[in-house]
Amino acid sequence: MLRSLRRFPLLPVLVGLLTACSKEKRPAATALTADATGTLTVLDWAGYEDTSMFVTFHRAYPKVTVSVAFGESDADIFGKMKAGADACVFHPYTGWQHFYVRDSLVQELDTTRISHWSEIPARFKALGQVDGKQYFIPWDWGFTSILYRTDKVPGGIDSWAALFDPKFKGHISMWDDGPGAVTIATYVKGWDETAITDAQLAEAEKMWTDQRKLNRFYWSGEPELVSGMKAGEIWVAYAWQGAYNTLLGEHVPVAYAQPKEGRNSWVGLYGISSRCQTPDLAYAFLDEKLTAAQGVNLISGFAYGHVNPAANAMVTDSNIVRALSLNDPTVLERTRFTPLVSETQRNQFGQLWARVKAAQ
Amino acid sequence: MPAESRRRLTALLTPPALWLGAFLVAPLLLLSAYSFRAGVGGALFRDWVPTLEQYRILLGTPAFLRLLALSVGIALLVAVLATLFAYPVAYYLVFRVRERAGVYIVLLLIPFWISYLLRVMAWKVVLGEGGAVNSLLLSAGLIHEPISALFYSRLAVVVTLVYVWTPFVALPIIATLYRIDRALLEAAASLGATPWQRFWRVTAPLSLPGVLAGAVMVFIPTVGEYVTPSLVGGSSGSMYGNIIFDFFGRSANWPLGAALAVVMLALTLGLVGATSRLTRLERFIG
Repeated sequence: MLRSLRRFPLLPVLVGLLTACSKEKRPAATALTADATGTLTVLDWAGYEDTSMFVTFHRAYPKVTVSVAFGESDADIFGKMKAGADACVFHPYTGWQHFYVRDSLVQELDTTRISHWSEIPARFKALGQVDGKQYFIPWDWGFTSILYRTDKVPGGIDSWAALFDPKFKGHISMWDDGPGAVTIATYVKGWDETAITDAQLAEAEKMWTDQRKLNRFYWSGEPELVSGMKAGEIWVAYAWQGAYNTLLGEHVPVAYAQPKEGRNSWVGLYGISSRCQTPDLAYAFLDEKLTAAQGVNLISGFAYGHVNPAANAMVTDSNIVRALSLNDPTVLERTRFTPLVSETQRNQFGQLWARVKAAQ
Repeated sequence: MPAESRRRLTALLTPPALWLGAFLVAPLLLLSAYSFRAGVGGALFRDWVPTLEQYRILLGTPAFLRLLALSVGIALLVAVLATLFAYPVAYYLVFRVRERAGVYIVLLLIPFWISYLLRVMAWKVVLGEGGAVNSLLLSAGLIHEPISALFYSRLAVVVTLVYVWTPFVALPIIATLYRIDRALLEAAASLGATPWQRFWRVTAPLSLPGVLAGAVMVFIPTVGEYVTPSLVGGSSGSMYGNIIFDFFGRSANWPLGAALAVVMLALTLGLVGATSRLTRLERFIG
């Protein structure tokens, strides 16, 4: 996934204040002291190299250098880790955890070394577990739902079926992703997405092959989608909340649906490589990532959710509150988190999507 | 060959041979090895049980084979069109502009100073729903709503690729046209050949090596093209390269992506080899 980012000019001041406050009361995080030195290598997504993405770590350990390398998709990050990337910390999203565990690319976490661990809700923590062991910390999260132009779709949208509605022919845009396509098919059809049968897969393939005639383009990066919606070319799209927030900021008439089948949600995770030579730095990095101060920074600056609920209450930007439904305490209960997908299933979904794109 | 010359030749050939071995042959061998794996998990060789599973999947999926055939067709069309557009440009530069041809060749190459991505995306400004062509047709009253098929379609892929490749094809044609001995054309003229006959009987056959070299130079990379289709092709404009990219970059299904790539490579080499044999390309190049 390519994640688009927005800046918030007063953020450094706000974060500075919050960091100063939070330092007073929090317990010692790791064995690291403020004058620690060294270099922490991180494999992350473009945009996450911004110092504001780890500003509390930077303030707590100013002499430590964070060196960020990039991956452009989950498959790319997995490929780089598998190829032996020099990354102590890396950042996959939900659905890929077990691949790292299977290939021994990630180490089990000692959560007693993470002082803010207790502030994280159990539902988020569970997403970082494989076979009952904690391998990842959850960090950023967001929604997937239907983004639509309210001026072109005055009746509103309340179902994922809108992506298959012929009345929007030529003005629909789906994300270019097989597992994402299969997930939406299960929502529309009411199937159990954790137990998809071959017959259901065949039906999902037909749905998306037929949908191709209605679809303008499959987007692979948010800027592409935002540009299409802004130009009025796209009216209805599979989208993350970041695109919604960006368009709201540009005063484009858009709404983010609350489909009756539920929104989808993805969660970003951080893991420590099994080859990491600087575990103290890595644990301190993960610990600082979980602070409410860092959370406010992430939410306000980039319109992404943060797993520390204390951060939500401090966000005042109304566009972001709407984009993440921060004023709706039940929204996460009605959200469907991306489940684990086995390699066999991922291959099946990928082949299905390739056949959809290859169909004449 | 004297020992000294042989040593010098070896010294000259070793670095490029090592380079090609490390960065072309070895990756291709790795790619081939991956195509015989069942999955991406585990170490490449330690957990490797050779299997033809990926080739079975590929050959059992008509959509993939049809897309490969379509991509070959698109590559042929682009190669032919780019050559047809490039030839008059090259001819004009060599036979009409003459001494200032260098300046024009630089002008021809100026687009390459701009990012490939920008050049491709510029076509959105031309062909998009709010682009130049639609605006012109709308304002002329010829259409009442924008033609959406101009962009995000196979047509847009072909138009963009022809635009991108035309200057490339012009270069080898210019080189062969420069090599034509002007005395041959003068002799033809003195024997009563019309300008048209001089072109068809003298210039065209002698420029064929450049034409074929240019067309092959376009054909080979276009078969596996994936950037342009993903930018301007829309939902229905995918080429074979796009699904190879998807298997590597999105699905982490390297074995199937590798099998698709190996088949494409074999087919492309086969087609170029057959063309070379049929047209006796080496005769021209040599």
